[in-house]
Amino acid sequence: MLIELLKEWNVYKEPIEPNAINPVELEAIHDSKYIDAIEQVSSGAVLNGIDIFGLGNSDNPISLGMAEGARYQVGGTVLGAKLLIENKAKKVLQLGGGFHHAHHNLASGFCLYNDLSMAITEMVNHGWHVAYLDIDVHHGDGVQEMFYSNGNVMTISIHESGEYLFPGKGWLHELGQGSGRSLKLNIPLEPFSEGDSYFEVLEKVVKPALSWFKPDALVVQAGADAHFADPLADNLLTTHDYEKIFRQIIDYADKSCNGKVLFTLGGGYSSTATPRIWALLYLILNNLEMPEYLPENWKNHWEQILGKTIPNTLHDKLPAYEIIPRRDEILKINKDVIRRLMDSVSQYWI
Amino acid sequence: MLIREVMHLNPISISPETSLSDTYNLMNDNNIRHLPIIKNDLLVGIVSDRDVRLATSKFAKTSYEPGTMISEIMSHPVETTRPSEPIEVAIQTMRQFKIGCLPVLDDYKLVGIVTVANLLDAMLLMTGVHYPSGRLDVRLKDRAGEIAKLTKLIADRNINIHSILSYPDANGKLRVVFRVSTMEIRPLAKAICNADFEVLWPIQASCVE
Repeated sequence: MLIELLKEWNVYKEPIEPNAINPVELEAIHDSKYIDAIEQVSSGAVLNGIDIFGLGNSDNPISLGMAEGARYQVGGTVLGAKLLIENKAKKVLQLGGGFHHAHHNLASGFCLYNDLSMAITEMVNHGWHVAYLDIDVHHGDGVQEMFYSNGNVMTISIHESGEYLFPGKGWLHELGQGSGRSLKLNIPLEPFSEGDSYFEVLEKVVKPALSWFKPDALVVQAGADAHFADPLADNLLTTHDYEKIFRQIIDYADKSCNGKVLFTLGGGYSSTATPRIWALLYLILNNLEMPEYLPENWKNHWEQILGKTIPNTLHDKLPAYEIIPRRDEILKINKDVIRRLMDSVSQYWI
Repeated sequence: MLIREVMHLNPISISPETSLSDTYNLMNDNNIRHLPIIKNDLLVGIVSDRDVRLATSKFAKTSYEPGTMISEIMSHPVETTRPSEPIEVAIQTMRQFKIGCLPVLDDYKLVGIVTVANLLDAMLLMTGVHYPSGRLDVRLKDRAGEIAKLTKLIADRNINIHSILSYPDANGKLRVVFRVSTMEIRPLAKAICNADFEVLWPIQASCVE
């Protein structure tokens, strides 16, 4: 949907073609037995005991060719990392990737191979300090876990609290271990959090974190599932909020790491909102003008396929939803979360 | 869950002749709060960091010198547990006597120690939060077959249940909290709701379309 939309606007540039990563390379972050199991079932083998790897359930069903597909996704994100390392680009958008729930030996939440961790590892092996920012509405548990005691990687995840949402992790007290201490930041927001809370997190947590850590590059998981129309979660960002967040992140990258930033996509389960959010990201990164309206052809075509009404504008019409009765309380709790996090890390950030 | 699954193995112990200051330093160095006291391979007493601090405090009625033997101030006889005891029994013992630890004895030998921290860890394990999962909170009629009906609904969708916690609710109802391995907990909750169960989380009343 997204690519067709960009083509319809005549702004789509052919991407640089990645190679699929090979299974052996994945051993940098994944258990070889786990990789083996995925590769085998993906080519049709029937294996017993794969449920310990989180495979074969409703979230991670087995399908033919899924391993190769996942390795292409990893290849794309790793290529993005290489483009930054080799100074061939400053800003990279991988129109895919973002599989942040994949663990060392566990498939989880629609994720098999962790492209983000592979890309970050590529950068760390080059001697870089890397900051990872995850705005997906779910906690970026796989990435955080893989670098939990790594002092070269800062991970920041802004998500709906694990009290209410999968994967049930990403608490304030998860601050990292050993040399990774105070480099793993979690901002668990209340359900129905709005743009204001996100902006406050960016200003009061992300900005000081990046300016203290001084990364060589920023990797962003730009999940679109914090949008108000998303069926899997509760947060209430609008496209206007997303635009502001994307611009803010790019501004931070410009100021803290010489503009080097790699964006991936991520979760996004509203078919009418997600393409518009990622189109915004594409337009911003390419310094293009924002068309006000969506192309008629595209809209009609997809409305027929989806059987849903798609808004006729790129941006949401405001007000996008009714006022939340608990709005003030939510804002207050989120402010408190920010304060508690900053209190915890301030003793380390000297 | 049994004590042997949560206890701390091979605990550090001391003899009755150990001085208060050595006892305190041992606790500090090992970052622990309790020390069992052993004489001729038998448990003869127990001491907590608070006992030691109070014994040497100016606030105490009798203030001891740091060189005093621990046998002067240790608590005895000692409340203990055994490896095969269910944790719920041990917890009740600790609550009853208002104590923070129980030495674990097997055939009179000290084999382990269990503290409030171990039991909190056990509690955490039971909630299933260590596994990436979503939370489902349902209020059930407290009668035969209700949980079976509910878990079948979950099983039919090929969703794995990582943990089930239940506790009594008001009006003879039962609260059951599941952790399930799915991101799509809302469609699941809806199906459960449609099957006439009372789903408390995730909440159904979404503010927006």
